[in-house]
Amino acid sequence: MEELAMLRQLVGQLQELLELYGSRPPHPLQPLYPLPLSQLHSQQHNRWCFLNVDDGSTDDYYSLIMAAGKSGSLKMLEPYKPPPAKKLRKERTRGKSSRTANSVEVMEQQIWKDFPEDLFEAVIARLPIATFFRFRSVCQKWNDLLNSQSFSQYCAQVPQGNPWFYTITHENVNSGAMYDPSLKKWHHPSISSLPNKIIILPVASAGGLVCFLDIGHRNFYVCNPLSQSFKELPARSVKVWSRVAVGMTLNGNSTIEGYKILWVGCDGEFEVYDSVKNSWTRPGNMPSSIKLPLSLNFRSQAVSSDGTLHFMRSAPEGIVSYDMATGVWKQDIIPAPLHLTDHTLAECGGRIMLVGLLTKNAATCVCIWELQKMTLLWKEVDRMPNIWCLEFYGKHVRMTCLGNKGLLMLSLRSKQMNRLVTYNVSSREWLKVPGCVVPRGRKRQWIACGTAFHPCLTAVA
Amino acid sequence: MSSSSSPMQSTGRKLKLKSKDDETFEVEEAVAVKSQIFKYMVEDGVSNGPIPLPNVNGKTLARVLQWCQKHADPTITEDELNKYDAGFIDVDQAVLYDLLMAANYLNIEELLKLACMRVADMIKGKSPDEIRRTFNIKNDFTPEEEEEVRKENAWALGP
Repeated sequence: MEELAMLRQLVGQLQELLELYGSRPPHPLQPLYPLPLSQLHSQQHNRWCFLNVDDGSTDDYYSLIMAAGKSGSLKMLEPYKPPPAKKLRKERTRGKSSRTANSVEVMEQQIWKDFPEDLFEAVIARLPIATFFRFRSVCQKWNDLLNSQSFSQYCAQVPQGNPWFYTITHENVNSGAMYDPSLKKWHHPSISSLPNKIIILPVASAGGLVCFLDIGHRNFYVCNPLSQSFKELPARSVKVWSRVAVGMTLNGNSTIEGYKILWVGCDGEFEVYDSVKNSWTRPGNMPSSIKLPLSLNFRSQAVSSDGTLHFMRSAPEGIVSYDMATGVWKQDIIPAPLHLTDHTLAECGGRIMLVGLLTKNAATCVCIWELQKMTLLWKEVDRMPNIWCLEFYGKHVRMTCLGNKGLLMLSLRSKQMNRLVTYNVSSREWLKVPGCVVPRGRKRQWIACGTAFHPCLTAVA
Repeated sequence: MSSSSSPMQSTGRKLKLKSKDDETFEVEEAVAVKSQIFKYMVEDGVSNGPIPLPNVNGKTLARVLQWCQKHADPTITEDELNKYDAGFIDVDQAVLYDLLMAANYLNIEELLKLACMRVADMIKGKSPDEIRRTFNIKNDFTPEEEEEVRKENAWALGP
């Protein structure tokens, strides 16, 4: 019965929020509301319930509730238990062969037995993340490295590679699935420190930490998905829980020096959280030159570039930016390309990019634009290979973009289909992503939402 | 590395180094200061006589100084440097170990990072047991504790 109460509450919040933005609650909401719990559980399929919105005002978070509600999978809020030790034969052999391929050289104990203690940390900090976790069982000292200050320093020095992706899948709403693009592997850890009675979603990340917001937009949480370092942020000083856009920046080069989180609402209200002081402040007001209400594009994650946060907005089309150091807001009016849907901002090496679906007649393609800073216009710089785009011909496709710095993950969905692709902005490389399947499961998961994060073993929330 | 017969000049001061097996080397200051140890010595003005290095043998010192020379060259591009480093560190275990120890002793940060990266590459495919054997590390977990740790971290299976 608790689940029904929770569902009612969520549905109520959803209706409230939709009314706030002036759209009518979508049709599927009505039959869902009065259904008794037994009927919810009898729903067989785990498909997306496609809300009939073309303006993109509702987004995947709400579709998620719909789908989760329909299948009764809201029930799956228990912390994910790791699978038993027995591996599938495929995994066992795969692990073995890749191991022999890497350790071609037998290391002679004669040479290495006197390896100095203090150099171990420097070496371990340079191991692939997955290997680090495997080596934790070598001895107590190696197991405790996550608590070592000096190890932290070494980790901060290692140049950052590709980000990982932390995603929420449609089935396991409270235990994320993480994708490692360098190994092309999905990992399914359990973050037992995350609250499991409410649904929380990743909204921003910086320096290896992911910022979560609960579905009711009330409380913020910060977590390192690799080490489970976790913190619930103090409550914000607002009275109305309206939809907010969130951005996150680091004070220095790593989380050691602290981080800041900003939320901004459509009414121009905003606050900044400083991890060093562990408090929220209101550093002023939005200038009157910026027209309110801000029609923020909530599907687009805020982009952080050089200490400035960029938010996408739709009326007028363009970008609203906030400089974390000076506390100054500014706006740029930038017309969006025609026939564009599901667009989000991204950034790479100082260049501001736009990713979106371009639909002309029945053909849909994923396009990449770059902002020309002189003219404040979008210029198309790349497209998804034609062969892949053909899959979507004539189908109604929705796209979610995860990550917005350097490497992007695109989740492309239509009624029958679910495709995951990564795009590397600087190398312009499009790669397919293996389907996400939970251990002991067979079904490919749908990615509801997520964010990219730089895997950092020692980032502390 | 220059020959020991060239005269000392005020602009291109040289340091004299002596390896543990009594090999002497002369190296320009600008090259030697890649090592923090030599940098401090030069700054403190105590770099006059031959500096004894009882922890580094001649062969290793020669290699290290060659690396320092390459990295002190202002005309070399980053790409060329990366290629050079990749080739430089592709050596057998015994040489690698000596280079690592020398870089650590002489406090040459970039060379140390390079060598550590290579060691990381060499061990990343091993099992915890192989690691213990290679480095002679005692397993101070009880079998139950070890299983517990293994289970907790099993989600990150991979090479």
